[in-house]
Amino acid sequence: MKKEYVAQFQYIDYKDTELLKKFLNPHGKIMPRRRTGLNAPNQRALAEAVKRARFMALLPYIVR
Amino acid sequence: MAETSQPVEGFTQATDAGSPAAVKNTTPVYEVGFHIIPTVGEDGVPAVLEKIRTLLGDAEIISQTFPTKRALAYRVERAQAGAREKYLESYFGFIKFATEREMIPAIEQGLRSIHEVLRYLLIQTVREDITQAPRRAVFSSDRLEGKTIEKPVMAPEKAAEVSDAELDKSIEALTG
Repeated sequence: MKKEYVAQFQYIDYKDTELLKKFLNPHGKIMPRRRTGLNAPNQRALAEAVKRARFMALLPYIVR
Repeated sequence: MAETSQPVEGFTQATDAGSPAAVKNTTPVYEVGFHIIPTVGEDGVPAVLEKIRTLLGDAEIISQTFPTKRALAYRVERAQAGAREKYLESYFGFIKFATEREMIPAIEQGLRSIHEVLRYLLIQTVREDITQAPRRAVFSSDRLEGKTIEKPVMAPEKAAEVSDAELDKSIEALTG
């Protein structure tokens, strides 16, 4: 399966919503690792950043 | 993992203990992001920001942004004095600072007590500006990212020279 993104970053900022949006599907759900191509620590950091952004109403919890 | 990080800290303390640089590097760095309610207006924002900065006391301010108005991703509601307040926009800003761990509960308590702060998030972070951190992103999609696919430029076609007699002949051949 072709991986869409191969991005490695040291830290992911929850305020960087433009970056985070690239890892969400049209419903606002976090893409799985097989789709993001991130390693496990980065995927966990991404999930944490997305959840922080959602709490701060910078990203939606759901998109209908 | 803890085993690898402990000797590094021990090394720093053994060599630079007591020096201002060492204290600066070992002080934990925090970041508080906050939403200020839109009803305070553009003029009321600096006053609220000042309240938040007062809470931080003598903490070292590493970076901050002035709160700017932005639309919220969803409607944020809260119960305030028996009424339900609903907000669709707010002034969002953040302050990154370094302070001692013991100060954090007091800062949180203070943030909770500021009525104009709709919501806040206090997290531990790193001193470096992580939004500017270099990152490597490879797009392996078949599509050309950010490029418009254009029609390849070709040499203009030249019309062949045909005499009238030849043209008549070929028309006759077609019509039979």
